Amino acid sequence: MSLFEKLKYISISSRISILLGIIILLTMGAFSTFSLLKQKEDAIISISNNTGQLSQTIEKILRVSMLKNQRDDISLAVNNIVGSEDIKSIKILNHDGSIKFSSIHSEINKNISQSRQLCVSCHIKNDKKIKANIKNFKHFRIDNKNNLIYNSLPIYNSASCYNGVCHSPEQLAFNKREKSETNSASLSPHDSSQTILGFIEIEVSIKKIISDLEKTRTQLIFLTILFALIASIITYFSIRYLIGKPVKNLVDGTLRVARGDFNHEIPPGKAELGVLSESFNKMQKQLMTTQSQLIESEKLASVGKLADEVANEINNPLTGIIIYCESLMNEADITDVKRSDYEIVRQEALKIRGSIRNILSLTRQKKPDFIVTDISSIIRHAISVIEKFSNFRNIQIITGLPKTLPKVSADPDLIEQVFLNLLLNSSESMPAGGIVNIISSYLSDEKEIEIAFTDTGKEIPSGVLQKILDPTNNSNLEDFEKIGISLTVCKDIIEMHKGKIIINSSGIGTSVIIKLPL
Amino acid sequence: MKTIKILAIDREEIILKSIKKALTGYSNTDYSVTVCNTALDGLKLIRSDTFDLVFLDLVLPGLNGAEVLRRIKNIYPLIPVIVMSGFTSGMNFNLSEKGNSVNETLNNAAGFLLKPFTTEEIRSIVSRTLAIRIGN
Repeated sequence: MSLFEKLKYISISSRISILLGIIILLTMGAFSTFSLLKQKEDAIISISNNTGQLSQTIEKILRVSMLKNQRDDISLAVNNIVGSEDIKSIKILNHDGSIKFSSIHSEINKNISQSRQLCVSCHIKNDKKIKANIKNFKHFRIDNKNNLIYNSLPIYNSASCYNGVCHSPEQLAFNKREKSETNSASLSPHDSSQTILGFIEIEVSIKKIISDLEKTRTQLIFLTILFALIASIITYFSIRYLIGKPVKNLVDGTLRVARGDFNHEIPPGKAELGVLSESFNKMQKQLMTTQSQLIESEKLASVGKLADEVANEINNPLTGIIIYCESLMNEADITDVKRSDYEIVRQEALKIRGSIRNILSLTRQKKPDFIVTDISSIIRHAISVIEKFSNFRNIQIITGLPKTLPKVSADPDLIEQVFLNLLLNSSESMPAGGIVNIISSYLSDEKEIEIAFTDTGKEIPSGVLQKILDPTNNSNLEDFEKIGISLTVCKDIIEMHKGKIIINSSGIGTSVIIKLPL
Repeated sequence: MKTIKILAIDREEIILKSIKKALTGYSNTDYSVTVCNTALDGLKLIRSDTFDLVFLDLVLPGLNGAEVLRRIKNIYPLIPVIVMSGFTSGMNFNLSEKGNSVNETLNNAAGFLLKPFTTEEIRSIVSRTLAIRIGN
């Protein structure tokens, strides 16, 4: 199985859980990253502001010393300030870039290059000329690689600077001393033409904040993964329980049905799947019923076909046997002993006829189709069909069939069959003619329709009547075979309709009473 | 007594022989029986000769019984035709199965003879049917 095919078999639960896990990872990951970046940004801005304010405070404090030209004090202050609040270094440099004071001792009197960002923000590179707009003088810059923030505060020139306002005696004495020792012009008070005398640069380490943020980030990542994992697992098992298992049951069920096994009910699923499994079970039951119905009717059809073939194969030769036997009997002398032998053969042939008709009548029964029926109209139709037969030439049919009889639930074709049989039997029993009386009525007490059918024909021997009740009875009653068998069929039909049939026969005729429930 | 001419149409040889035996093998009646075993032969005979009665089997090769009956009636509407059948027993009319054609057959036929029949049964139905004829 290729990888693609293997992928197809990954269950619904797995797919959804994996998808959920990925979604959680991505969204939470994005969210935390964004959030952390914002935090870092905010932290840096906050620190920068603080640093800026710190610089200003330091400048204000040092200004006094600078005005008094108390250089020692400034050096002391610079060295002391460093170490507190993550301040890594402070330097004071003049406008030319020469570092006059610094916490890093080695830097003192060194020059910074003019290409540094500090210089370039106002001056064109390597030139003293000032750029067109110097509004965006960056007071601070960030060194992301080393996690440092630099704040550069310009020291602006003022009247008190270039006038050397402080007339402290120490100052004057100092000035005198300095003047004589170094003879340097640079020791004079500042030039009034200078805007910016120099810069205080403070270097602040943001290492701690950054590492804290990193720690938080790691924690968040770990939590995200953990959460995604837990959510996935919970989802996986929930879906498996709610959907996976019921779906698997359904799939198994359909596979079983495809194989032809309709017998196993599948266990119910949850929620909507519960409805689905219920309807699946119903469908199975329906299939089972339909299948057995089909098998039944196929059986019936094949039995019917078989019966037809058997009938033909047997009835034709049997006719020959009977007729020729009778002919032999006719041709033999009355005293001939052979006559009784022929009679025996004839009787046996007639027995076969009876048996075949019995069997065929049993296989011929169609399944009843119950509909609301009016008995009177069925009887009238049966009469109309059969009275044209020559048998009925001398027979008078008298009827009492009210049109307002309540209707019964019956199969009209089968009921008509019963009446056709009864009519034929009557006609056979009165070859010279007679009267047939058919009266239908409604018995309100028993809620039944009663049909009373009488004729003035030959008496049916009690043996035949017995045979109607018990078709397997093998007594020899050739002439009445036909009637006996057809009456058995009538009895079966009436019983299928949950009705009763009562037959009485005497010298004056036969009466058949049929009762059908509504 | 005028000879009564009867035509028997059936697929089976034995049925034709039996009809002949039953109707002509006894001395007291004057029947003459012509036999054939296909519908086409039967129709030909009906056209070419006059018969007083026809025995027709419902299952013949080619055309079905109802159709043959209709054609006979077309040629000679008044001829009595007794249909024979080996299928059903006890006169079970499966009305629901063939519907109109069964009713039509019942309307066109003068009588119904179930196989196997005895000598008495066939002679009786012949005399009854002809009695009606004579009566008319």
